[in-house]
Amino acid sequence: MAVELDEAPAAAPQPGASRRVGLLRPNPWRRPWLMEGFTWLYIVWSIVPIAIAVLFSFNKGASQSTWQGFSTKWYIGSSVNSVLHNTALHQAVVQTLVLAVLTTVICVPIGVGFAIGIDRWRSRAAMSLNFVMIFSFVIPELLLAVALFMLVTQALTFIGLGTEAEVAGLVVWNLSWPAVIVRARLVSIGRSYEEAATDLGASRLGAIRRVLLPMLMPAVFASAVLVFASTVDDFVIVEQLSSTASTQPMSVLIYANVHGGLSGPALNALATIMLLFSLVAAVLGLIAYRWMTRGERQSSVEALTNIAGM
Amino acid sequence: MSEGHVELVSLTKHFDGGVAVDGISLEIRAGEFFSLLGPSGCGKTTTLRMVAGFEAPTSGKILLDGVDVGAWAPNRRSVNTVFQNYALFPFLTVAENVAFGMKYKAVPKSERDQRVAEALELVQLTGLEKRRPNQLSGGQQQRVALARALVLRPSVLLLDEPLGALDAKLRRSLQVELGALQKRVGITFLYVTHDQEEALTMSDRLAVMNKGNIVQLGTPADVYNEPADAYVADFLGVSNLMDAQVDSGAPGQGCCRLRLGEFLLEARAGTIDASGGVKLAIRPERVHLHPYEEAGPNRLPGMVEQLVFIGSTTHIHVRLATGVALQALVRNDGSTLPYSQGTAVNIALPADALRVLPDPGVSAAEIRDETHGDQLLNLTS
Amino acid sequence: MALADREKTQDRRSRLLWIGLAAPGAIWLILLFVVPFYVMLAVAGGGINEFFQTVVPVWNPLHWSSWNFSAVWHDITGAGAFIGAPALRTLIYTAIATVLSLAIAYPVAYFVARYAGRRKGLFLVLLVAPFWVSYMMRMLAWIDLLQQGGLFNSALSDLGLPGNTDWLGGRSLTVILGLVYGYIPYLILTLYAFLDRIDQRLLEAAQDLGLSRWRTFWHVTIPLSKPAIIAGTFITVLPMLGDYYTNQLLSGAAGTTMIGNVIEGQLDAPGQTGQGAVLSLMLLVVLLVPMLYYVASTARASRENS
Repeated sequence: MAVELDEAPAAAPQPGASRRVGLLRPNPWRRPWLMEGFTWLYIVWSIVPIAIAVLFSFNKGASQSTWQGFSTKWYIGSSVNSVLHNTALHQAVVQTLVLAVLTTVICVPIGVGFAIGIDRWRSRAAMSLNFVMIFSFVIPELLLAVALFMLVTQALTFIGLGTEAEVAGLVVWNLSWPAVIVRARLVSIGRSYEEAATDLGASRLGAIRRVLLPMLMPAVFASAVLVFASTVDDFVIVEQLSSTASTQPMSVLIYANVHGGLSGPALNALATIMLLFSLVAAVLGLIAYRWMTRGERQSSVEALTNIAGM
Repeated sequence: MSEGHVELVSLTKHFDGGVAVDGISLEIRAGEFFSLLGPSGCGKTTTLRMVAGFEAPTSGKILLDGVDVGAWAPNRRSVNTVFQNYALFPFLTVAENVAFGMKYKAVPKSERDQRVAEALELVQLTGLEKRRPNQLSGGQQQRVALARALVLRPSVLLLDEPLGALDAKLRRSLQVELGALQKRVGITFLYVTHDQEEALTMSDRLAVMNKGNIVQLGTPADVYNEPADAYVADFLGVSNLMDAQVDSGAPGQGCCRLRLGEFLLEARAGTIDASGGVKLAIRPERVHLHPYEEAGPNRLPGMVEQLVFIGSTTHIHVRLATGVALQALVRNDGSTLPYSQGTAVNIALPADALRVLPDPGVSAAEIRDETHGDQLLNLTS
Repeated sequence: MALADREKTQDRRSRLLWIGLAAPGAIWLILLFVVPFYVMLAVAGGGINEFFQTVVPVWNPLHWSSWNFSAVWHDITGAGAFIGAPALRTLIYTAIATVLSLAIAYPVAYFVARYAGRRKGLFLVLLVAPFWVSYMMRMLAWIDLLQQGGLFNSALSDLGLPGNTDWLGGRSLTVILGLVYGYIPYLILTLYAFLDRIDQRLLEAAQDLGLSRWRTFWHVTIPLSKPAIIAGTFITVLPMLGDYYTNQLLSGAAGTTMIGNVIEGQLDAPGQTGQGAVLSLMLLVVLLVPMLYYVASTARASRENS
């Protein structure tokens, strides 16, 4: 052992020698440049096209490849083909907002109630319902949309195609967001806070209202943001369940007009507005989430992943 | 306000998996500091949760000042709980946490503020009213939990391992404080812990539990000095346990002759009228070491195997000629111990310190295994 | 016994509370998720009104006919079969797109989870950003770039390459890359969420035990991230199999149709709704195995957590 100790310093030295060792055996603490470069490449690939599309929605001309100067004509300027003045375009904006708000307002409360109820009502029925809920999360959207289409055209014909059907479908498609996120939070909270509340005199319902709900608020809010944004972005269900042009939200309008029709920067403007809705929801959501969890020593990274539904 | 007299009558709790509490009966006097002590899974927490109302008993009664509250919801019982993780509401301030329960007790608003202030003063947290729980240290959180329960002036306060999450030093100082606090407020405390030191220092009386049953009930001194069986002897502090045979030869008055291998011993404590195979227990501090030459009655030859310096004391591990390992405890008075590894010694086991215990049917080693975790905790704390 | 009765009424009351809380969501799920698939069965097993060419659903399972099923069977195997090619294409596109997505997503997620250090927040914002941009917008962006006279072609001609390729004129490559672009954010976020939770000490232990970086990666990190890869694959494969709009947007040609387009087309075609239902059910049955596997593993994970 003493011999080894003596040899150790002798082996280290000369810069030339250590460089040769470095070639054969790379420094284990080096930064993974290759992976980092690859990551940046991916990020550029994923974001730049969108940035260009947004940029060209402010183009003065109708070209999507030559920049002709800044203008807001595709938003408000043009009396024919701007989002503000073209009936089809601004109707789509309104319809998207209506769907997103209605869906969020219905979906989040029933999803939260579902999560709490299923978590506490331990029974075979609760397990099956939970199974159905997770199933609705993984099923391809097209299959659900086709089934819903048949439901409202063949069975519940009083609903019919249109806004009601769209909202009904969007709610069921998005129900798993609040259900899954709130349930996860419930599990991490545990039972002791509710027990403490009943111990201090609250009834079971009182404990839910005064202790559990405030503690669930960040999760409720995060899921509301997710439901809102995913409704704004939804395409398949609303395409199958919309009827006339007046019930078509932005995504359907863009899809219908990409090849011909209302093409050009006006569509980009519409898509940019859609993007704005989601981004505003996300940013507001993140800020509010941080504010609500300020008592919980949570890093912003955690907040970010939570708000993205991870 | 009621007195705080608790009586459990053959209280039983079955879970899907089996029996958690197996028909225990005990009485807690009003104003008493009573502890339930035992390893994890012994049923002590389930018992406390039944008294609090979080678990419904399978059968049996919980009498609170003579009224059976077994089927009452937790919010109807005049008992309050200090939880192991404190369960302080993170979205409320310290003052709001403490005031939480009073909203359900129809306490007038003016009185509420005053009582919150009093409770916080009682636990020495005045000035921290506006803080949130996560801005407090563990010890402070523990005090808030205490204040939140005490402010309701319960007849019984239930404490579920309240010091478990704190470090050793803080735990010591809070033990003393908690004991003093209980004397001051005069409320019955039902304290659940796996830490024998906590139970011994604070309790007026304690019950040692094992596998859903009460094994022994008494004052700390009773239970420590006169353990009812090998399980209690081993769980409370370090005990030397030996298998021995009662010698059929005529016993003297008030004493019992035992055979340990080829040696004969006399014991004056415990079940001295036993016969057949028994356990012998002796506390390490009662084991004395003498030079090898100084043989005598109740002395056995042995050899020092290891010296463990603890600070205030030194644990000396010795092995008897019969093969049994024992521990002796020597107070450190500044002098150097005349022993080292391999020193041959004569080990004195005074007859009045040697307890005869009924053999519970398990070997001492098995008991030691079961309580090993707690032993380790005790050694490190 | 009075005590047991009290306990029972208490239990019953709280159970009613839980059921009441779960009820609206449960009813919604049953009415708008379970029932619709029964309607789909009724349509598939029903017939059509010959005169109006409209669907006549049959609600009693005992009276279901195999008419639509044999019609679909004829479309798959008979003369003039047209379903085989889109089905096969769907599989090939999905397989290639999934492998490509994994090849891109894994290093990115791995880098951000392990090496991003203090810049993790920045990277996450950039990775999450596409998640908040609608699918339609992201496809529109590529249509803008790839169209004839678009930026991509002009960039190519600037480099001296042929710059008049019609990228949107029915190319499989465009569609596959579109699928990758569309679904990769979900994959990256899923992988990241899993990889981030891998205990660093396990990797350190492996290196401590003498494994090189690469061996640690192969023998420890990859096995540990297997559930992440499986979950991520599900999350991208399932929607890709039901996709019908990516190829419509980026190609629109018959040569790139997928099974989703066939279903979607039959839904609106007079007299063929029943066959659309049959095809949807077939797709559902095929996907049932991976979906059940996913649901079961999620349920297991949540049980372990609670």
